[in-house]
Parts: sequence; structure tokens; C-alpha cells
Amino acid sequence: MSLHADIDASKLPDFSYEFRSPLWWGIVGLMTVEGTVVATLIASFFYLQGNHAAWPPAGTSPPELLLPTLSTVVLLASMVPVYLTDKAFKRGDPKPLAWMPLVSIALALVFLGIKAYEYASHVDFRWDTHAYGSIVWLMIGFHSAHVIAVILKTLVILYLARRRYFTPEKRIAVTVNGLYWYFVAAAWIPLYLTIYLGSRIWS
Amino acid sequence: MTDLASIHHDEETQQLERTWSSPPGFFAWFTHVNQTNIGMRFIVTGFVFFILGVILALLMRLQLAVPDNDFMDPETYNQVFSMHGITMMFLFAIPVMEGFAVYIIPLMLGTRDMTFPRLNAFGYYIYLIAGVMMYAALLLKIAPDAGWFSYPPLAGAGFSPGLGLDFYTTVITFMEISALVAAIEIIATIFKCKVPGMSLNRMPIFVWAMLVMSFMIVFALPPLVIASLMLALDRMAGMHFFTAASGDPILWQHLFWFFGHPEVYIIFIPALGMISSIIITFTQRPIFGYIPIVLSIVAIGFIGFGLWVHHMFTAGLPQLGSNFFTASSAMIAIPSGVQIFCWIATLWGSKPKLDTPLLHVLGFFLIFIIGGLSGVMVASVPFDMQAHDTYFVVAHFHYVLIGGAVFPLLGGLYYWYPKFTGRMMNERLGKIGFWVTFAGFNLTFFPMHKLGLDGMPRRVYTYLDGLGWNEANLFISISSAVLALGFLLTLANALISLKRGKTAGDNPWNADTLEWATSSPPPSYNFRHIRIVDSRYPLWSGTGGLEQNPVVTGIRSDRREILLTSILESHPEARQPLPGPSPWPFWLAIATALTFAGLMVHMAIPLLGFLLCFIAITGWIWPKQLGAAK
Amino acid sequence: MSPPQKNAISPKSILPGIVAAIIWLVSAFSPAYASQSALEPGGPLAAAIANLFWGMVVIGGIILFIVLAMLAVALLRARNKTESKPLTFTQSRNLVFISGVVIPALILTVFVISSAAVNREIVAPMPKNALTIKVTGHQWWWEVDYLDTEGNHIAKTANEIRIPVGKPVRIALEASDVIHSFWIPQLNGKTDMVPGKSNLTWVKADRPGSYRGQCTEFCGKQHAKMAFIVDAVPEEDFEAWLQRQAQPAREPVTETENKGRQVFLRSSCAMCHAIRGTSALASVAPDLTHIGSRKTLAAGSLENMPGTLSSWILSPQSFKPGSHMPATVLVGEDLGNLVEYLLSLE
Repeated sequence: MSLHADIDASKLPDFSYEFRSPLWWGIVGLMTVEGTVVATLIASFFYLQGNHAAWPPAGTSPPELLLPTLSTVVLLASMVPVYLTDKAFKRGDPKPLAWMPLVSIALALVFLGIKAYEYASHVDFRWDTHAYGSIVWLMIGFHSAHVIAVILKTLVILYLARRRYFTPEKRIAVTVNGLYWYFVAAAWIPLYLTIYLGSRIWS
Repeated sequence: MTDLASIHHDEETQQLERTWSSPPGFFAWFTHVNQTNIGMRFIVTGFVFFILGVILALLMRLQLAVPDNDFMDPETYNQVFSMHGITMMFLFAIPVMEGFAVYIIPLMLGTRDMTFPRLNAFGYYIYLIAGVMMYAALLLKIAPDAGWFSYPPLAGAGFSPGLGLDFYTTVITFMEISALVAAIEIIATIFKCKVPGMSLNRMPIFVWAMLVMSFMIVFALPPLVIASLMLALDRMAGMHFFTAASGDPILWQHLFWFFGHPEVYIIFIPALGMISSIIITFTQRPIFGYIPIVLSIVAIGFIGFGLWVHHMFTAGLPQLGSNFFTASSAMIAIPSGVQIFCWIATLWGSKPKLDTPLLHVLGFFLIFIIGGLSGVMVASVPFDMQAHDTYFVVAHFHYVLIGGAVFPLLGGLYYWYPKFTGRMMNERLGKIGFWVTFAGFNLTFFPMHKLGLDGMPRRVYTYLDGLGWNEANLFISISSAVLALGFLLTLANALISLKRGKTAGDNPWNADTLEWATSSPPPSYNFRHIRIVDSRYPLWSGTGGLEQNPVVTGIRSDRREILLTSILESHPEARQPLPGPSPWPFWLAIATALTFAGLMVHMAIPLLGFLLCFIAITGWIWPKQLGAAK
Repeated sequence: MSPPQKNAISPKSILPGIVAAIIWLVSAFSPAYASQSALEPGGPLAAAIANLFWGMVVIGGIILFIVLAMLAVALLRARNKTESKPLTFTQSRNLVFISGVVIPALILTVFVISSAAVNREIVAPMPKNALTIKVTGHQWWWEVDYLDTEGNHIAKTANEIRIPVGKPVRIALEASDVIHSFWIPQLNGKTDMVPGKSNLTWVKADRPGSYRGQCTEFCGKQHAKMAFIVDAVPEEDFEAWLQRQAQPAREPVTETENKGRQVFLRSSCAMCHAIRGTSALASVAPDLTHIGSRKTLAAGSLENMPGTLSSWILSPQSFKPGSHMPATVLVGEDLGNLVEYLLSLE
């Protein structure tokens, strides 16, 4: 055998993080897929609007702005602890990882609470009232399901972190969970603009 | 440079075998995650659905052989033609192409597995469950009967009240998850797992094609998923996305074809990659125009998203827009033309051996060019208003899909079969099979052009006597039996050669890419040594062949581990431990299917399914040794 | 699924079938059938499209021939040589650039322009005073309304459209249930009928004659049997016909016809069909005021004769399974009287 070795991989780390990690690309792929879903929903919203003289259709009042804007601020604020946790962990400080996600989760729960209150008592249409109702409820449902999913996922990460499963090197799972949190929070911005401001342009 | 004799010993080979082998036994089958296992399952299952789709087509041709035939009632016929489309597009074409990608790409990249082996397995079970559900519905005579395109309002609750369309909407919605996860996985694997030295500009064209296919899937399938979910909600929750009352039936057509047109290229682009592989090997030459070919594939990927409206020219859309889509549809002929002429330039004066794989490629040339030309024709708005939804269009897209994808796919089957099984397929039977298929195909589909212009619409369960269509239909029905016989010969060849084929050896075609650098079939760990490459044609470069190539050492063999390299230059970056066999992907697939299909039964089941999915995902990612870092 | 019928394809029919099919391919474009072919245009629109088609076929055929010839040369060039004969880099580059980019770009430009030119002809604005016919698609029949230039209703019929020869006719397309598509291959391309929307198309026949049309958007069980007839007649005949269609139904003359009308009004017929001038005014199904003047029944699928009409009334499901018309049980002379009455309504 005259095989010869040019690279000795045993000296390479057996972990990777950020864009060097396949998992990072995996989550970027997932976010691209879901971003396309959001774009499809928004395109459908405006397409259906084109069929109606008024939007929301006559008989439905345009949405109030105070509550949803408040809840949007809360959801955006939930990204701050994620950012701080990530930054501290990269520096080698594992303490924030043990409790800061709880703050994010609490804020996300407040967001969900406000949404539930708003759609239970503050809107005068149902999903089967008209096309406007259908697309708005679908957007809210789609996004809320993602908020719930990312909360559950963060709880698992939190539990593992408290069992000291992660190290500043082996942190890719924390990173991608953070990325997904940013995505879920950021995806709300175009949805918010569409549902609440987009509904006022033609009303 | 170290002398490798010190590490190349049998003990390590045995350890690799132990580490990477899949556990035996029926129940353990559901835990397998190796890419060769999963890739082969996709390919075999895909071809099984192809056979079922062909059988459905033959039933249709039997019904249409004579006018006013009552072999099938309209209800049955409508289910059969709908399931034929659903099978060929969703259950055969995409999965089989993904199967080839999953099996071959890690081998071509020179690595031991894909980046997310469990995700691979999950995608397969999703696909299998979806396919089995659709065929169970057909056997129970409750299959969807509004076509694979299922336009509302016909597909809405008012006009299709039965379970058939519920199967369609819910199963399509979750079935696409399978294609999406495979696409993400293929992208991540191509980005991160190329062997050192295989920079992007040395990557085989086949891998480029699969990369573009995966990107197209990522952007094309979400609109379909969301559209079929909307249709499901229209039907089951009384929503108004596509109702004439408040929603818009045309919105469905936009969303469906925004997926549906790229879908054609999702099927066609991998075939382009297969053709390039076969031409390189059979001419024994580097391909002419590597860069133009890669750019053409990328261009097709982009332009493919700008054509969807040409499926809707008759829907009454604004005219100016329609002419734009004529131009964009015609434009796609240019990147296709560039590739065809690059292949001709490569073939020029090359004395190729006319073996079965290359024969299929040559068959592709004739059929695909005809399909491409009729495609340019139907891109013209006025002509399309005559041809749309007639047998002319049926002829056109079978020329494109069978000529453009199935012929290269069969060529690819003959080409890679030795790698899959260690045995060659029978060359003589292969040639006969090719000619029968080729003749049967053209005799079946060419007359359909004329039949369509003679006024016969698509999707009719029968036609009246005296319209001048009788002879053509009988002729087509007889020819379709010839075509089916051709497919049958290839199938028989594949089955017989499994036991009786000539032993292939590692590289029977003297091909250039890395999948031929390991044994046939590949061991569970794919490669004993991870190579370092310095050329686009690694097996042809250098002088000494396999033994004199530089390799990577130090990848652990006592656990599943692959080498990660940088995206552009393929510099080694890290070792990545991979998860082993696990039942969780299977359970997650069950939970996912329950979440979506449960909609058919009760609104509460999806909630339960959501919870079960969460449990399954947690079980899936749960580390084996928790707290080891303490 | 029912088991395959033995008589669907018998081995005996295969050989004559092949022979017939070869004859058919050879005589492919002879105008043997006057019915439903886009290549036998009966008006300027279909003619323009047919010309476009033939132009594309000729150019496409030349392209196909040249590319395959190049492929053949590529394969055969080094056939008898010991060495292979590759092209130089420059030759290859020129081959790909000229035949793969330059020539296709030129041809496609010509193609896009000619297509747009024909398209312009087809969407040309109609003269204001053109006759307007509103056609509404139903599962599985066509409702036809004639409107005057102000949009007032003149007459209603079903499954048959009569137009004056040489005059452009505007056709407004609507659908009552699902999407249908309105296609008369010999006169113009198809346009969809979408519920909740109104589409426009137009036709013009150059010569008198009968042109068959058919639904071309899959619309459910009986999509296959949703056809209609367009009769192009000289203008004066058309005007006279329209006058008659605008009238209420002719009063029964004979005793049989009178009895037939009684049968119609007291049976389930009147729940769906209208006969203007009687108490039957339902609009769910085709208007039968002048049924006797029509050539076909069941949306262009059966000849309109006493025999077919009787069997259609007794058992529509056996001819058009899934049709929304229920079977009507008529005993004794009732059926004969009804048929005679209906066919008298000219």
C-alpha cells in the first residue's frame, strides 16, 4: 500500500459552530422554507384584497392598533434575552443560559396571551365569515403555532443547559435555537404590517 | 506526509463496519439511517409507485380504446386519472430523483453519510405513509377525483363532498415535508461534506444539478403546502380562500402553478445531471463547457419560477402579462440549448461505446427536443388557447417528462445499477428494452399531438363516436401496451440481474467520479479512506489510480464521524459526530401524519398530533449521555 | 373498479386497428371530419392560430432535423478512425455559442413577436354594436342568453348557439358552479368560465356550417359529455331564428300535445325546467321553450329524436351517469305524449 496521508483530521475539533456547522445550514434552510410560507400568506392576503371593494369587507371594522402594537413590542423584546444569552455564552459565561430563556418565554407567553384575548373578544369576524377572516386567522394561527413550538423547544434547551450539557464550544444547538427564536419574532413584523396596516389602506 | 501502512489494518476496517452497520431484524429496519439504505428505499419505493402509475395509465388507455366504452364509470375514471397524476408527480418523480441524490451524492462527495441521517429516514417514512394512504384510498374507491391539480370550486366541499379530496389536501400538505427535509439535507451535505480539495468548481455536474433541484424545492414547495392547507381549511372549517363567494378560485391556480411549474424543472434538472455524468463516462472525456453547463442549470432554476402563468393563459388574465410569460417561457430554451450543444461538442468524434446508459441519453435527445419545441409552441398565448387542456398538451408534457426525465433516469439506473448491487444489468436485454420503450413511447404519444388539435380534450372518461378520434385512440391504446412492455423489460432486467448479472467490480465503466472509488455495493461506511482530490475528474487524474492518492487520516472509526469542510474551497474544518440508528424518525413521521390526516376526522386530533410531534422530536434530539460534561 | 370487459380490446381488433391507425396518420390532415378540429378553421381567429401553428411546425421541424443531424455527425465522425476526433476548444465554443445562444435567441425573438401579433388580433376590441351572447357554464350543460346592444335580454336557449355568418359575435362567459372552459376549435381558442368572474371572448364564422364545441376544463363526473353546437347561418335566417326564440312556447295544437303539456307541468320536469308561456319557470336546468328546434340533447351528446328523448327522460343516468337530471317515471301514454309535446316546441 502506498497510500499517503496529507491531512490528519484527529487534530481537528470534533465540534463546529455558526455557519461552519451543518446544523446551522439546516436551520437556515428551515427558515427559508418558512419565510417562503410567510411570503405566500402575505401575497395571498393582498391577492384576495384585490377582489374586494373594501378590505376588510363591508361589515367588518378594521382592526384596532393599540393591543397588537403592544404585543408586537413585547415579542420583539423577547429577542433581547436571547441575544444576551448567546453573547455571554460565546464569551464563556454559562450563567445567563440557565435563566434568561425564561424571560424570553415569559414575554412570548404574554404575546400569546394578548393575541388570544384580542381574537377572542376584540375582532368582529370569524375565520369562516369571509376571505379576509380566513387569511387573517390563518396568519395568526400559523404564527402562534410557531411561537408555541419555539417555546417548547427552548424549554428543552433550558433543561439540557441546566444539566450542563452545553459548553461554549459545543453550543450549536443553543445557537440554532436562538436563530429560530429570532426568526419567529422577526417573521411577525411583516405579518403585523400586513394584517394591521395593510388592512387600513383599503378600509 | 505519513506512511499509511501503520493505520491501514484490518482491525480498523472491522471497527468501521461495526460502527456503521445497520442492526438486523424486522423492527430494527425502522431504525436504519445510513444514506445508502434510505436512498435505496426511496429509489425502490419510487419505482414501485411508477409501476402503479403505469398500471393506472394502462387502465385509462383501455377505457379510451373505443368510443362510449363502459369499462370504467366516470367516477372510477376520474379517480384513476387523478391518481395517475398524483402518483407520477408526487410519489414517483420527486422521490426517485431524491433517492438517487441521497444514495449517490455522499459517494460522489467522498464522504461517509449525509449530515442529518435521521432526517433522511424521517423523510422516507413520511413519503411511504403518504403513498400508502393515497393507494388505500384508491382501493377503497375514495381517492381524489378532481385531478392532481384539484381546482376549486370543483375540489371544494360543495362539489366534492366525499373523503377523496380530504385525502388529497391533507396528504399533499404533509407529504411535501418529505421533499423539503430531503432538499435541506442535500444542500447542507453538499455545502459541508465535500472531500478536501473538491472546491465548488470541481464538483461533479450531477451534484450541481441536485443542488439546484434542492434550492428549487425549498422555494417551490412551501406555496403548495400552504395552498393545500388552505383548501383543506376551506373544505373542513368553512373558510373562504378559494370560494367564489368571497375568496378567489384563481388564487389556487396561481399558488398551485407557482409550485407546479418549477416542479417540472425539479424533475428535469436532476436528469440533466445524470446525462452529463453518462456522457462524460461514455466519451471518456472531460465535458466541454463545465461552467456554461453549470450556469445553464442555475439559470433554468431561476427562470423556472417565472413561467407559472403559462398554465393559466385561458383563465382570462390581463393580456400584457400573458405576453411577458410567453417571452419568459421561450427564454428557457436558451439554457437548455446551451447544454444540448455542450453535450454534442463533447460527443463530437468521440467514438463512444453505445451501451444502454448512453442509448437512453440519445433517446432523450430526440424526445426532449420534440417536447421542448412543442413547449415553445404552447408558450404562445393564441396557440395555447387552442392546445390548452387537450391531448396536444398531454403529448407535450409526456415528451418533456418521460423524454426529459424518465429516459435519463432509466439510463442512470443502468449506469449506477452496478454500484447499487455489485452486478451489471444485462446489456442485450437492456438494448432490446430501450428500443421497445423508445418505439412504444413515440407511437403512444406522438399521435396525441394530432388528436388534441383534432379537438379531443383531456380528462374525459369517454368520447362520442363520429368525431374522428376512434382510430387514433385505438392506435394509442395499443401502442401504450408496447411502451409498458418496454418498461417491463427494464424491470425484469433489474430483477434478473440482481442474482444473475455479471460481477461489476468497483468501476466497470471507468468513470471519473468518486462513487466508483469504493466497492460495489459500497460498504456501510462508504469509504475506507477519505480521499483528497485535486481535479474535477478525480479518478482520471494522476497516474497511479486508487493507491497513490493522498487521503485524510484521524477520523474516528469507533463512532460515526464525518469530515466537515468549507463551502467554497473544501478546506477541512472539523469532524462531525453523526447520530446512529433510531426509531424516533419513524415515530415522528407517524405523529406528523396523524397531525395532518387527523384533520379529516376531528379538529382535536391535530392538537394531539402536535403534542406527539413535540415528544418525538424531543426523544429524537435527546442526548445519550446527559451530564457527561459535568 | 369493475373487471376488464372482454370486448374493450380484443386481439382481433388489433391488426385492423393498426392498419386503420396508419391510414389515419397518413391522411392525418385531410378534412374528413367537419366536427371539432382546430386545424380546419371556420373563421379568421382560428385561421390565424392555425397559420401560426403551421409556421411553428415548419421551423420546429427544421430545428429538430438540424440538431439531430449534428448529433449524428458527432457520433459517426470518428466511427472508422482509430483515433477520436475531438473539436478544438474554439470550435466547441463557437458551436455552443452560435447554435445554443445566437440562433435560438433570433428564432425565439421572431416567435415571441409573431405570437404577440396573432394575440393582438384575437383580443382586438369589438365593435360597439356587436351581438352579445352570454354563455353560462353549468354541470354539465350550457345556458345561452342573447342580449341586445343595450344589454337587454332577448332570448334564452341551451347547448346550441346560433350566430350570423361573417359578423363578429361577442361572447360573455360565466359559470354558475365550478370552472368550465368554452371552446369552439374551428372558430377560436378556449376561454375559461370562472364562477364569480366574467370573461370575454369572440368568434366570427366565415362560412355557414355547424361547429362543435366542448368543455375543456375538467368539471366533474360528466366533463366528457358537456358539448354544444354552434350553427353559423346567413344573417337574415339568424334574425328570423332569434325572433322565434324570443317568443314564448307554441301552444299545443293536437290533443296529444295538450296531454303532453299536462304531463310536463304535473311531473317533476317542471321543478327544474322552464317552458316560457306556461307555468313552468324553473331555471335550474336547460330552458325547453324551443326544445323541438334543437339538434341535440344532453349537452351536445345525443341526437334529438323521439327515441333518444324518451330514453333520456326515462333514464338519464344510464347515458350520462352522475348527471343532475333524475330519472322520471312515466306510465302508459304519458311518455309518448310528453315527447310529442316537447318536440313540437319549435
